[in-house]
Amino acid sequence: MNKAPLYYFDHAAATPLDERVLAAMQPYFTELFFNPSSPYAPAVAVRREYEAAKDTLARTIGARGSELVITAGATESINLAFKSIGGHVVVGATEHQAVLSAAKFCKSASYVQPDNTGLFSAELIARTIRADTELVSIALANNELGTVQPLAAIAAVVERERQRRREHSEVTPLYFHSDASQGLGQLDVHVARLGVDMLTINAAKVYGPKQVGLLWAAPHVQLSPVIVGGGQERGVRSGTENVAGVIGFSRAMVLASEHRHGEAKRLSTLRNTAQSMLEAALPDIEIYGNQKKRLSSHLSLSLPGVDAERLVFKLERQGVYVATGSACAANKGTRSHVLEAIGLNDRQINGSLRLSFGRLTDEKAVREGIKFIIAAFKQEQDRVGKKA
Amino acid sequence: MHNSDKENSKTHVYVGMSGGVDSSLTAALLCEQGYRVTGVYMKNWTQDLPGMKCPWADDLADAKRVAVQLDIDLKVFDFETEYRDMVVQYMIDEYKLGRTPNPDIMCNQEVKFKLFLDAALADGADMIATGHYAQTKAGKLLRAVDDNKDQTYFLYRVSSAALSKALFPLGGYTKPQVRQMAEARGLYTAGKKDSQGICFVGKIGIKDFLSQYVTITPGDIKDITSMQSVGRHDGAIFYTLGQRHGLDIGGGLPYYVVGKNMDKNEVYVTTNLNDPSLWPKQISLTHMHWIGEPYTGNRVEVRVRHRAPLAPATLSIQGLDAKIELDEAIRAVTPGQSVVLYADDECLGGGIVA
Repeated sequence: MNKAPLYYFDHAAATPLDERVLAAMQPYFTELFFNPSSPYAPAVAVRREYEAAKDTLARTIGARGSELVITAGATESINLAFKSIGGHVVVGATEHQAVLSAAKFCKSASYVQPDNTGLFSAELIARTIRADTELVSIALANNELGTVQPLAAIAAVVERERQRRREHSEVTPLYFHSDASQGLGQLDVHVARLGVDMLTINAAKVYGPKQVGLLWAAPHVQLSPVIVGGGQERGVRSGTENVAGVIGFSRAMVLASEHRHGEAKRLSTLRNTAQSMLEAALPDIEIYGNQKKRLSSHLSLSLPGVDAERLVFKLERQGVYVATGSACAANKGTRSHVLEAIGLNDRQINGSLRLSFGRLTDEKAVREGIKFIIAAFKQEQDRVGKKA
Repeated sequence: MHNSDKENSKTHVYVGMSGGVDSSLTAALLCEQGYRVTGVYMKNWTQDLPGMKCPWADDLADAKRVAVQLDIDLKVFDFETEYRDMVVQYMIDEYKLGRTPNPDIMCNQEVKFKLFLDAALADGADMIATGHYAQTKAGKLLRAVDDNKDQTYFLYRVSSAALSKALFPLGGYTKPQVRQMAEARGLYTAGKKDSQGICFVGKIGIKDFLSQYVTITPGDIKDITSMQSVGRHDGAIFYTLGQRHGLDIGGGLPYYVVGKNMDKNEVYVTTNLNDPSLWPKQISLTHMHWIGEPYTGNRVEVRVRHRAPLAPATLSIQGLDAKIELDEAIRAVTPGQSVVLYADDECLGGGIVA
């Protein structure tokens, strides 16, 4: 990380591997390379370290190691959760593409619309749940807006429906799944307090390695494997264990949990500084997402009428890296379904930027980087204005 | 060569920007020469092929990066339907007839110097520009300074009227100079690899591309002298006159394609590299196109494929057809390909090998 970019404002897309995490992982690529299923002592030792890392990892979400299924990232975890469901599913319209795509493979799906801040109403979800609904899936925090969802309230309506089914002796199961990847390091992800039956998280969002994730499932949830083979991960996810990945994931989650409160506070101060600077300099700016229930790291905004793709290309030359929801070539033509779902029009979406701060961000980076962003916005506004 | 900056500022030039280094530098040079410049990405083909992702979105993003760098607009002109109908379909049809077409020539004729030109003019352009290595003078087409890169071969079917509206700022430079100038300006695309071959066919090759659109039937490869079968081919459509590689015939001397019969689905070969059909002295051309008036002289230089050396020849025109009598025979002049005619530095036009 000695060559970290100066103004990296896209932590929601990827985070750099923490050096301590890398150090923890390193021996498992080399001298501790053994297959955890092998019978001799050094391999058995590796197995024990793997299991211990899983236990540690599980404790960071208030669970047991034996309840975790290690996967190759959140997308796989989501697939595993959804493929275990036979009936109707209820998902948020602003869920990650992995959830929306997985829902398509279920028997049927209903899509709940959020309010214009991206927030879901537990009561609306309650009304969407049908007698044959088997899964409700809502992410803890939206990856574009940063809006944090009322998971406990949603869990309560799910439990209410389960209660009703029990009273009527209906046997259709109903589970509540959440992808909490985006909230890691900022929010409480304790499974009991969230009230979920299944939880997806991803190491890559928390300064851990890419292609490592997990699905936690409560003991009463029956998972059906997507990947079969040697029967690893209790037969739910076969394939030789990603020992280094899990060691890293575990370390990353412990570090994130330890610093969670301080980091969340630090990031919200930085984010608020950025937001005030932008609002002061650009009167036409629009800020999106729920201003009260929002990840500390996130700032979603737009300057309608400006071409955000041009901003991305302008800013990258100054070492400022940001994301946009615009349906531009840089996004392979895909317009943000999240911004659409909260009712934004094309002008707003095409002028949208998402800034997400993290460990690479300090006050100096925010003050300097935001100045570049303001200047770029003004240049583009002038350019558009001149033509009009 | 170009007017003063002050004059140029009155001229609005639409530059075709593909996201490659040549068109990027073209736009940069025009900006420096004081023109009012708008970039245009022509969206001609976006289809993925088996094992190959069409890079159009990346190319468009690169074109836009350069436009942002130059602080110019980048528009997208969508010619997908026209390109499919006029360039891709033409290519497939020609191959089905057993010929070897040149879709790049068709693309320049129908898309870049017709559709793009018309759309640009209608949108407010005074002129268009592209990154071709060629030069123009008063509606004439002249060879580029870089003999190795000269692209007039691909431009011979463009009209004089279109050429009088076109700028080729790279015509006076060599490719290495262009790379260097792009680097000196820090253009994002300065180090980008040149695209190879037919753009929409890309790396997968013509064989895999055609297999998508044409039913392929295996057949016999026969020795032209004995008419005995010497092997099998997987579709006569894939074979081109003079071709040596790709013939799956083991042992002995190498074979060369000297002809094929599409109806019988047979490919004819010889081991005799001096077979007269491989070394024509006379070429019949059809669909003659003249950039200006038909040439009145009878001594010309011809180019039978891109980058082939210029060969002296005698020309006789018969309406839309022409006969070329080469001073010295040239190897493998292929039906469907173009023969382009030159007098000194000027590209006069040309025709298609019958």
